Amino acid sequence: MNVSEHPIFSCYQQHSEFFDEIFEEDGNVKEVYKKLFEIYSGHTVEDFASLNNNAKSSFFNQGITFQVYGDQEIKEKIFPFDLFPRIIDSSEWDHIEKGVLQRSKALNHFLHDVYHDKKIIKDGIVPIELINSSANYLSQMNGLEPPGGIYNHISGTDLIKHSDGKYYVLEDNIRCPSGVSYVICNRTALKKALFGVFDAYKTFTVTDYAQNLLEIMQTVKPEGVDQPNCVVITPGIYNSAYYEHSYLAKAMGVELVEGRDLYVEKDKVYMQSINGAQRVHVIYRRIDDQFIDPMEFKPDSTLGVPGLFSAYAKGNVTLVNAPGTGVADDKAIYTYMPDIIKYYLNEEPILNNVHTYHCSRPDELKYVLNNIDKLVIKPVDEAGGYGISIGNRLTKDEIEEVKKTIAASPRKYIAQPIMSLSVHATYIEESNSFEPRHVDLRTYTILGKDKDFVLKGGLTRVALQKGNLIVNSSQGGGSKDTWVLKS
Amino acid sequence: MLARVANNLFWMGRYIERSEHIARFLNVNYFSSLDAPTTESQSRQRVLRSSLFMTNTVTTSVDHLLDEQEVLFNIALNIDEPYSIINAVRNARENANSARDVLSTEFYEALNKFYHAVLRYDPNHFKVKGLFEFTTLVTESTAILREKIRGTLFHDEVYAIIMLGISVERAIQVSHIIQTKYTDALESTPNDELFERSYEWITLLKCIESHDMMRRFYKKTPDSSNVLEFLVLHPDCPRSIMNSINRLNKHILSLSMEKLPSKNSTAYLVGKTQAHMAYLSIETIEEDIQGHLTQIRETLYTIASSIEKEYFLYN
Repeated sequence: MNVSEHPIFSCYQQHSEFFDEIFEEDGNVKEVYKKLFEIYSGHTVEDFASLNNNAKSSFFNQGITFQVYGDQEIKEKIFPFDLFPRIIDSSEWDHIEKGVLQRSKALNHFLHDVYHDKKIIKDGIVPIELINSSANYLSQMNGLEPPGGIYNHISGTDLIKHSDGKYYVLEDNIRCPSGVSYVICNRTALKKALFGVFDAYKTFTVTDYAQNLLEIMQTVKPEGVDQPNCVVITPGIYNSAYYEHSYLAKAMGVELVEGRDLYVEKDKVYMQSINGAQRVHVIYRRIDDQFIDPMEFKPDSTLGVPGLFSAYAKGNVTLVNAPGTGVADDKAIYTYMPDIIKYYLNEEPILNNVHTYHCSRPDELKYVLNNIDKLVIKPVDEAGGYGISIGNRLTKDEIEEVKKTIAASPRKYIAQPIMSLSVHATYIEESNSFEPRHVDLRTYTILGKDKDFVLKGGLTRVALQKGNLIVNSSQGGGSKDTWVLKS
Repeated sequence: MLARVANNLFWMGRYIERSEHIARFLNVNYFSSLDAPTTESQSRQRVLRSSLFMTNTVTTSVDHLLDEQEVLFNIALNIDEPYSIINAVRNARENANSARDVLSTEFYEALNKFYHAVLRYDPNHFKVKGLFEFTTLVTESTAILREKIRGTLFHDEVYAIIMLGISVERAIQVSHIIQTKYTDALESTPNDELFERSYEWITLLKCIESHDMMRRFYKKTPDSSNVLEFLVLHPDCPRSIMNSINRLNKHILSLSMEKLPSKNSTAYLVGKTQAHMAYLSIETIEEDIQGHLTQIRETLYTIASSIEKEYFLYN
């Protein structure tokens, strides 16, 4: 079986500089994809066009959309879904699962340390400046014990497969990582469109995420509470991830609240129900730290609840994730992750980190300024793929511009070698065929008191534009159903 | 359930119901006038005035010449007119969005599809030949929505709140429609006898989807007396005001935590209204039709605001 054998792959051009997830270098299909390739080859070009349209309208009708804010109006867009699933075999997954769990646990230790004894700083592993100068460090968290001892209940770990065929972690997201609802939607959509393919593979389910999340939220209930009342808090229906917030609340069977539904009295949190006040014990908050409590943080925030932080500090309510976790998913802290893992767990890191140059260090800054064309420059504290410069895409003038920006505030930037994201067969509407596109993988790990869970699957994000390396949905990325095979 | 979400569900129910009544009124009123027996009943200007009155409660002067396409567009698809169908559908969906976690996926998908179908409906097509098609889309979609509410939601407080919204809006809309057609009958007939047997009573029954069943029940030609009795007082006519008030009573009792509703509660107010209506006769209503209809509607508004005060107040 070869890439050249079917019209739906006629536009598939292999590039040797990228790792191809599906085809060997000689164009033969990799073992794990053989059955899938065989089934897909039985479909015509027209079949895929119509399946693609059906999937799109299904997402649209179900309102699985996000809002894009234009100049004049708010547009509702679907997050493009790709018909070709990504398959991860059990041994490969085992490695990933162990690796992301290790990272999440190490980060939890790190957060506790940062907000208590700061041993890792005293021992000279992580420089104090990184903590002190971080915009996401919350002094209010100093000395607080989060219920169950957990800070980063939910971690989204972004991985890529480099041209050497190995996984590398690009980012740890431990503030409010999003996208998990798409993992479930993608599975549902693929099952509807091409149910036959599931007969050929034994795949783990992804629908158990919400149940595990709820159980984990219950393990971190405040002390002395028997049956905790758990809720999800959202900024509201105009938030771009509102679908996900409502999905999670629905799937867990808990209330989806907004800040205005809650109030704090004598350091206890209540929600206003049709039968009066009802106590709230655990809040999965999808609101950023700065907005959760106008009395403690941004005073003009209308999204949060006045007094919430004080209730949290008294141990009367659990916030999931804890405030102040952002200090650890900072791109500068990322570069110390191998040391952080060794320091707290006394283990070798299972997953690779990408080598990182700190512009805050004079010698590394010098290297960066001289080698911009070979590097990716990232701002330390931006999310969503914004502010990233890819060196080999810049003109001479642009390189000079970037140099100036970095030199002006070196602490704000890090640089990494240009990693090449692996490619995967992706349905492209314009050519009505499958073409290689770059993909990454976001995994979801949840930590509770004496309980943890890694979702067997994850969000494979795909950059739909040819040659594009940025997979974020806000920048035109789509996603794929991701199968983890049972052994 | 959250008080805010309850408020959203109540209004979602109201807006779904409202869109249906406006669409059906527009459809039936327009099409039954085409071959109406008298010149008055056939008058397009009167149909337009009546439609505007029903949706907007604004009386248009007889001297004011209305533009047909403009009026129909305003009622159906003009996003700038607060009383338009498109706005009712938009508000229904907006309210559903805020309560999405307590609604079933099946119901939400049906509502969302309906919303997009209305939003995408081409106004130019509508103005020229889409009146029947568009109003049918609305009445059929709302029927699907009601079934998804009944058949896919858990019959708990969420269901009770939606049904309160639907029932209160239905009673209000039906009383509106009765009042509108009552005015039409008065205007189009010169004397009492003709008024009693006006063609408008048949149109009224059709506007409330009750023509066939009324015939079956009375086995008589519709006249002012039996039509009003059927639509206001008959508990088994699914769209009568009495039927809606009975439902209001059922659902408010399922929400209320009190066994014996206290005097200032909504349950008490609804119970009192139900008892009053149950012993009201058509003869009493006929002494002052206009006055009774107005009074019923005012009671319904009081009930709606009492529900809001008792259950939805937050911040």
